Amino acid sequence: MEQLIREKIKRVKKGDQAAYSMIVDFYQDRIYQHCFRMLGNKHEAEDIAQEAFIRAYINIDSFDENRKFSTWLYRIATNLTIDRIRKRKPDYYLDAEIKGAEGLTMYSQLSSNDPLPSEEVESSELNHYIHQEISELPPKYRSIIILRYLEEFSLQEIASILDIPIGTVKTRIHRGREALRKRLRHV
Amino acid sequence: MEIHKEKIILMHQYLDGEIDKIKEMELFTHIEKCEACRNHFEELTQSISMIQSAENIQAPSGFTNNVMRKLPKEKKRIKYKR
Repeated sequence: MEQLIREKIKRVKKGDQAAYSMIVDFYQDRIYQHCFRMLGNKHEAEDIAQEAFIRAYINIDSFDENRKFSTWLYRIATNLTIDRIRKRKPDYYLDAEIKGAEGLTMYSQLSSNDPLPSEEVESSELNHYIHQEISELPPKYRSIIILRYLEEFSLQEIASILDIPIGTVKTRIHRGREALRKRLRHV
Repeated sequence: MEIHKEKIILMHQYLDGEIDKIKEMELFTHIEKCEACRNHFEELTQSISMIQSAENIQAPSGFTNNVMRKLPKEKKRIKYKR
């Protein structure tokens, strides 16, 4: 498969746009899922995942063919999700606690027929709960936990996706696991 | 408390597959005796297996077509460069 992808990339670099559709087909589920887990919202996930593939296409000439394409693509997608999270105004953070109201978040202020960001997708309650807990981790731990445990990248690959030293990956994964443990210990 | 902190660091090294045999023995000998550390370790491994049980999600239908439609116009430079 890796070989086939390599050949398609060569053709895309030569200007053959149609060759790109097989690449999108092959990675769409993984990239969409990654964006959904990062953002906790179906519409934003679709938007950002599409953007990631478009950026990858536009910048395909800068992709070094000696590297793994998936790592490069994940880097683009992760950066876009983090940008999107940063651009959300803090005032509108649904999961931000309301001052003076212990444990109460903006979610509880939504009228009951507004769908919660991650409500539409999951089939089971537990699944919904897990995604919600993940999407409430601070973004820098969230990306690492998702890449490590849901997408099963090695620590070295994560360092290259996030463009941070491996020592930082280890510190963050350590803290991310502790944050996750605190959230999930009473389930 | 210090001793637990030390063991927690070992737990994370273990989870990253970066612990040597001697430290690993040290960790598990301690875990057997120490309830607090045993609980901590179980909570860590359980929260990991819990998130790993999350179902896979598929991209919405028509995803590839939507991306392909939004790409900038095909570069013609190769085709006409003869």
